[in-house]
Amino acid sequence: MKDTLRLVIALTTICVVAAFALAMVYDVTKAPIAESLRKEKLAAIEAVLPEHDNQPDKEVQSIVLGKDKKGREQRLDFYIAKKEEQWVGTAFTSSAKGFGGKIVLMLGLSPDNNLVKVKVLQHKETPGLGAKIEREAFISQCVGKSLKSGKLKVTKDGGDIDAITGATISSRAVCDAVNNGLLDYAERFSKPDDNENVKLQSPNVK
Amino acid sequence: MSVFSEFTKGFWKENPTFRLVLGMCPTLAVTTEAINGIGMGLATTFVLVFSNLLVSLLRKVIPDKVRIACYIVIVAGFVIIVELVMQAYFYSLYKSLGLFISLIVVNCIILGRAEAFASKNPVTESIADGLGMGLGFTCSLTVLGIIREILGNGSVFGVDILGGHYLPFLVMVVPPGAFVTLGLMLGFMNMAQSK
Repeated sequence: MKDTLRLVIALTTICVVAAFALAMVYDVTKAPIAESLRKEKLAAIEAVLPEHDNQPDKEVQSIVLGKDKKGREQRLDFYIAKKEEQWVGTAFTSSAKGFGGKIVLMLGLSPDNNLVKVKVLQHKETPGLGAKIEREAFISQCVGKSLKSGKLKVTKDGGDIDAITGATISSRAVCDAVNNGLLDYAERFSKPDDNENVKLQSPNVK
Repeated sequence: MSVFSEFTKGFWKENPTFRLVLGMCPTLAVTTEAINGIGMGLATTFVLVFSNLLVSLLRKVIPDKVRIACYIVIVAGFVIIVELVMQAYFYSLYKSLGLFISLIVVNCIILGRAEAFASKNPVTESIADGLGMGLGFTCSLTVLGIIREILGNGSVFGVDILGGHYLPFLVMVVPPGAFVTLGLMLGFMNMAQSK
């Protein structure tokens, strides 16, 4: 009995001390971590938006898509870019299933619904093949396109995006993600009627 | 053995990767680029030195029956510290190492050194052992990373050295390339040793 007690005390003490040490480190690193997460997000948003002078990550219009299995809210955030109070673009994320896993894109749209720029945020495609979706030569093919201009498909499917050699599935997934994003946007985000004095209305959730 | 030889043995004679063949999971997974090898190696070194230090300090206090549990709590504590600090101050490295930082907890080198060395030796020797083993591990990972990065991507530490005409040998940056490189390195080490 005395021996058991000794084991319990030793292990408990070590765990308690470790817990205190971790709590302290957590406290110190909390702010810098939040800052680096924000910087990463902001960098991705900035990369796809046209020139602007506001802080797009502070001007967010979000819509609730529903709830996931754990009951957490699934949201889609639209980041609004403005220059001299004029609405110049919107950035938002979109995803599709690729060859190795989820591909997440950041799309930048001008107010007239054309793609300004697309950036791959996350992917698990094969290095050297599917991973080339990150390259400017491929991804910039989407620039200037919109739902109306159409043909956001790989050439094999009758579109005008040249697929990456040996990575048709990855290329197709990027097109899907772009299309899904554009559809989401068109469906849920209403353009303000009064373009002169841009004040964004809350998005219409249809 | 002197403190100095405890330190140097990790580089060649008892190199954790090439001679003890411990900690293969991070070795194979993160060595796609030289910089990842260094980052992973240094993170492991930090954990190794401090866990060795603590285990050695507490070696007379920790009861034998629960020693593994105690070591794991100590190791896991330091790993989380490394993870938080990296996320806060070296975010891009944190992103590229990803999940493998947390997996340092189950790296057999660390628990292996705690059990085989630090729990039986005084503090100074244990720190020397941890530092040597950790830096030996770092060197091995960096060498593997350099080889794979040159052949698979034509660059070292992100700097192009083989020029645009080089057609990358893609298999080197995917998992099979890790096995091939490691196997060849082990072979060379054995050859060098047997002479």
